[in-house]
Amino acid sequence: MALKLNFQVNLNRFDLTINQTVNLQGITGIFGHSGSGKSTLLRAIAGLENAIRGEIALDDICLINSDSNTFIKAEQRHIGLVFQDSRLFPHLNVLENLKFAAKRCQNRQLDFNEIIHLTELDSQLHKHIDELSGGQKQRVALARALLAEPKLLLLDEPLSALDRHAKTRLLKLMVNIQNQLALPMLYVSHSLDELQQVCDNLLVLSQGKVLAFGGIHHIIHQLNHTQSGEFIHQQTSLSLPIKSLNNGHGLAVLSLNEDTDIYLPAVNENSGQIVGQLLRCFILAQDISISLTEPLNSSIVNHLLANITAIDTKENKVLITATCGRSQSTQEFFVNISAFSQQKLALQLGQNIYLQFKAGAVRTDLY
Amino acid sequence: MNPDLLALITTLKMAALTTVILLLIGTPLAWFLANMQSRFKVIIEAIVALPLVLPPTVLGFYLLIAFSPQYLPGQLWQQATGQQLAFSFSAIVIGSVLYSMPFVVQPLQKAFEQLGKPLLEAGAMLGASPMDRFFTIVLPITKASFITAASLGFAHTVGEFGVILMIGGNIPGETRVLSIALFDHVEAFDYAKAHILAISLLSGSMVLLASIYLLNRPSKNRLRTK
Repeated sequence: MALKLNFQVNLNRFDLTINQTVNLQGITGIFGHSGSGKSTLLRAIAGLENAIRGEIALDDICLINSDSNTFIKAEQRHIGLVFQDSRLFPHLNVLENLKFAAKRCQNRQLDFNEIIHLTELDSQLHKHIDELSGGQKQRVALARALLAEPKLLLLDEPLSALDRHAKTRLLKLMVNIQNQLALPMLYVSHSLDELQQVCDNLLVLSQGKVLAFGGIHHIIHQLNHTQSGEFIHQQTSLSLPIKSLNNGHGLAVLSLNEDTDIYLPAVNENSGQIVGQLLRCFILAQDISISLTEPLNSSIVNHLLANITAIDTKENKVLITATCGRSQSTQEFFVNISAFSQQKLALQLGQNIYLQFKAGAVRTDLY
Repeated sequence: MNPDLLALITTLKMAALTTVILLLIGTPLAWFLANMQSRFKVIIEAIVALPLVLPPTVLGFYLLIAFSPQYLPGQLWQQATGQQLAFSFSAIVIGSVLYSMPFVVQPLQKAFEQLGKPLLEAGAMLGASPMDRFFTIVLPITKASFITAASLGFAHTVGEFGVILMIGGNIPGETRVLSIALFDHVEAFDYAKAHILAISLLSGSMVLLASIYLLNRPSKNRLRTK
């Protein structure tokens, strides 16, 4: 499924100009800071913005074309939207909110009870909206959007008001739903950590324009060089196969390549993760340090031989890009050090170094 | 039939019809005003609110002129129905609709403004059409304001005097309503009958207002959950 975006929205003191075709596979993240145009983009796709010049099309269906005066109303687009503030109907209980969506679905294929089960709402159905926690409300909003059986699901910062536990639970749920229903999702967030964990592709917006679009790891690595890391926390973003969930010492093992493993805190065996499956994780550039010799006598468990491919200096901060592995399966790592350390170690392009980081520095928010 | 009973029936008929018309006209007008962003909004709001500050006799005087067969509204009415508009039951209903308009439009407008767009957008994203959204989201959520608007419109119409006297006169079974019957009794120094009508109007109004507050009170279940 392809979403063609070629339009302009002019709002008070804000313009959004986009010319981008997005192949909707899995979960596509939309990242940007406040005022970058993320929500406006979602509202334009949903049909909630009228002041649009240009065209938006979903596959061969034209949703809006200002030249031919085409505008398909929001209720006729078959696009779902989960709002930041859940927007559950206060005069209906959980079950009635869900039925509101199911009743209006013209071509029902999903099993009502299955969606309730999938969104873990079985015990909440007769509760009033006021009785629900923030996380429960968002799960109801998600189930309600799914029961309308949209062709595309838009998620507008649905986790921003939730605590860490509720966030993790809902993120897992989203991935699970995406896997089971194969429903394309556009997920807006200002948290790169969230997006890194669940998205396959990433669209980055800045001041109403597309800054980058592509595979999640590639774009995050590209952002490391944007505005010297002020845009995001510079990091190495990875999807690696699980070798062991727990090696008996409280550590999980991921396979970087044939010769090299990466250790991280053990993954709960009830998490649904299995050996051989890819695990999404990231390592902040500030959590990796460099040694010129292999640190065999260190408590730090991860030390990888790498080759420096780029050195970017800004004021007293240096971002080192180093590549691990052989030509066919290389992986870039990003390291923040001070200019003082760089001078002390006399680091140069092409130099072999050892990257070292603790198991705890390998982060995975979901498991 | 007892003339006071006849006046009561005329009053209830007039107030019920006025309330229905007001809800039918007032709801779209309130919706329009709640969503209007033009600078002309204040002018329409002022026109709607005018009966709140205008002496009823002023409104009655201009309506009397407009309803007379010499002027266009009166002429058109006479051509369409074959009957004179001034001093008719229809005249007092039209007068009541205009006079009680702010009591219906203002609470509804306020409720629609408070409701805002978020829930309606959520409804649209679930495939609900505008009419569907009105009946399944707006109406149930603003039910209390509809009850308030209808009750105030009804009660205010029952209590009308000036406008009705000007455009309806005092025709038993047609335009003689309770407030005018009461005035008649006072003029004739028949205070006993005047008392009966006055007490009836007073207690009726009290019961109506108490019922509104009772109906609009949050239910016990809702209170317990908060």
